[in-house]
Amino acid sequence: MLAAANFAAGQPGSSPSNDAERAAGEKIFRSHCASCHGLNGVGGSGPSLTTGIFYHGSTDTDLYRNISEGIPGTAMPDQFFSSAQLWQIVAYVRSISSHPLQPRATGDAAHGAQLFRANGCLQCHLVRGEGGVRGPDLSLIGSQRSPAYLRESIVDPGKVVAPEYWVAKIVTKDGSRRTGFILNQDSYSLQLLDFDAGLRMLQRSDMKDFGIDRGSIMPSYKGKMSEGDLDDLVAFLASLERPREIPK
Amino acid sequence: MKLILLLGTIGALWSQVSYERLLKSAAEPHNWLTYSGSYRSWRYSTLDQINRDNVSALRVAWVKQMPTSHRIEATPIVVDGIMYVSEPPSNVFALDAATGRPYWHYKRSLPAYNVCCDAVNRGVAVSGDRVFVGTVDAHLVALSAKTGAVLWDVPVADPKTGYSVTGAPLIVKDMVITGIAGGEYGIRGFLDAYDARTGERRWRFNTIPGPGEKGHETWPTKGPHADAWKQGGGSTWVTGSFDPELNLIIWGVGNPSPDWNADVRPGDNLYSDSAIALDADTGKLRWHYQFVPHDSHDWDAVQVPVLVDSDWHGRSRKLIYWAHRSGFYYVLDRTSGEFLLGKPFAKQTWATEIDSKGRPINLPNTEPTVEGNVVWPGVQGATNWYSPSYSPLTGLFYLTVWENKGFYLKGEPKYTPGNRYVGSVPDIDMADDPGYGAIRALNPKTGEMVWEHRTFTKPWSGVMATGSNLLFGANGGWLNRSAREDSEAYFFALDAQNGKELWRINLGGTMASNPMTYMISGKQMVTMAAGSALFTFALP
Repeated sequence: MLAAANFAAGQPGSSPSNDAERAAGEKIFRSHCASCHGLNGVGGSGPSLTTGIFYHGSTDTDLYRNISEGIPGTAMPDQFFSSAQLWQIVAYVRSISSHPLQPRATGDAAHGAQLFRANGCLQCHLVRGEGGVRGPDLSLIGSQRSPAYLRESIVDPGKVVAPEYWVAKIVTKDGSRRTGFILNQDSYSLQLLDFDAGLRMLQRSDMKDFGIDRGSIMPSYKGKMSEGDLDDLVAFLASLERPREIPK
Repeated sequence: MKLILLLGTIGALWSQVSYERLLKSAAEPHNWLTYSGSYRSWRYSTLDQINRDNVSALRVAWVKQMPTSHRIEATPIVVDGIMYVSEPPSNVFALDAATGRPYWHYKRSLPAYNVCCDAVNRGVAVSGDRVFVGTVDAHLVALSAKTGAVLWDVPVADPKTGYSVTGAPLIVKDMVITGIAGGEYGIRGFLDAYDARTGERRWRFNTIPGPGEKGHETWPTKGPHADAWKQGGGSTWVTGSFDPELNLIIWGVGNPSPDWNADVRPGDNLYSDSAIALDADTGKLRWHYQFVPHDSHDWDAVQVPVLVDSDWHGRSRKLIYWAHRSGFYYVLDRTSGEFLLGKPFAKQTWATEIDSKGRPINLPNTEPTVEGNVVWPGVQGATNWYSPSYSPLTGLFYLTVWENKGFYLKGEPKYTPGNRYVGSVPDIDMADDPGYGAIRALNPKTGEMVWEHRTFTKPWSGVMATGSNLLFGANGGWLNRSAREDSEAYFFALDAQNGKELWRINLGGTMASNPMTYMISGKQMVTMAAGSALFTFALP
């Protein structure tokens, strides 16, 4: 990071100038990146940048390239900042990716794995080939969300619910009821992951009643688990990381 | 003598698109000779073989899959059985209009280029036996209509500093009129006229006036931002219209730069977000009308001006119908630019009204802020560049509408040549309220909505009315940014009188183009692009 910032400034580095680079990067981040990555980079429709793990390369050069050129096949667009501005953004992203407010999980991951199974989490969540479809796939969740976010999701699962996990509740004109996730929809039809019947195509013209519950179907584990067990469960989830990239 | 006549006849068989033919394009509805179908830009065809009774039988006649990975935004030109259509970024096909089989393919090798919003092209122009195309590396190219060979290739501007050409040129007399894109790169916009024969530039109108030019006083002239006009934006990336009687080229001008932070450019920032009317021979400004003074929401005036001669409060006038990106529908007098009507056609929360002089009365707290500010319409507007249509049969004005909000952030723009100069990235398509789309019919005299056909997603396509009271449109939009791959892709025909859907087909790819129609071997064809393919439909 320091090397990057210094390279951008084109002069020998000192702490104040690095702070200035980072501050300049933060300003750009707030106005250009936060709408997807969230204020302070904690994630939104785009991934969290606070975990220290980057799927598409984690060197400064990788970050620079991904911000400058975008990431093909993802929603990450190219941005066309000047070289100096790009390094400022890199400097800022580096600073939040090792943020002191984002401590690593400290619990016993092996015990957490047992708790995960014992509490029936696999009924709804998929973890590396095993599990259900009524909740997010957690196979790489340690790379995608911070431990603090994971803890919050366990004790207050309804706080942030991504739209793909909003539950559609539909009554068709023939009286049958369907509940599930909307995989896709258009002006005329809806492609449903029906919790009971699997993939189902529904025509809007066949629907009598159509509602969307934006809450979470996951029960809260607040007060149902000791703080120690919660730490262990978070540690297990945080351990579900994407393998580190092979250095180029 | 007979021999000469015979040669003359043979010569006439090879389609020379004269200025006379362009002026009288309505007399040959089997062809589609300009971007919007005529100089009046009604995107209306008198063809009526496909009608409300038989449209349900419409089926695919041919498909042309293009090698490109970019979406097709072009409206094809059809001249006597040959279709000329651009393939993005800057290639051109000549196709047999009956079968889609290619005659030739101009493939441009491109250096590095800067475009804000995908490397696209909205079509070609044809004059004489030449085909003209603008390129993303900011050149204008003349091709032989017979072979696709390059006849001339001239630079319009420097692509390294963010200039590109994405719009279709317009032929006026013996000139090729082209606009310029780059409003997100701090360009200084212009409209150019080139000699169709030589490629020599005849005139340039700078849309951002410099020192000594009228309108420069609407930019900072001293202090730290005295040079803001040099990067003032004002692109011209959608094809305008032409009034031969007034000898006026009427064209829309894009946003001022930087888009979402207006602090460096206090003032009205002429001629951004304006309709401009230029003398066709000299390029001199006859009049202008600015829809949004001092814009900070990227609400370009890049709509197609629809020219209609009609009664206005008891007096026959030469009018322009214009539904602007900011959510207001306007009627202007095209002789003088006089403002006649301004009325919302979609939800908007930035102005109380347009006053009697035509100036919007802005509501407070609607500018972008560091924390962000929610305003209707969103950054893609309540409508955008896709074409409207006017039908003389119904007397209605048709357009594609987005009902949506935007979250406008303000950052600190810094100009560096060739890099984006925008000030922030606003958020749209928010999951909590992504909005919806519609095809709407307005009474053009009042701006009142007559009917609407709602679409679940927000369309990126224009509309076309026909002489059998059909209105073709599409809903190929996406629900939100994360679901772009899952955009819907229905091409449909509505009853132009009441909006009832009469036919539709799922074309399976993003539609960001405009329908057009022509006739060949006694059959009416309707063409629409979806994804990187061109679909043409006809009755069995």
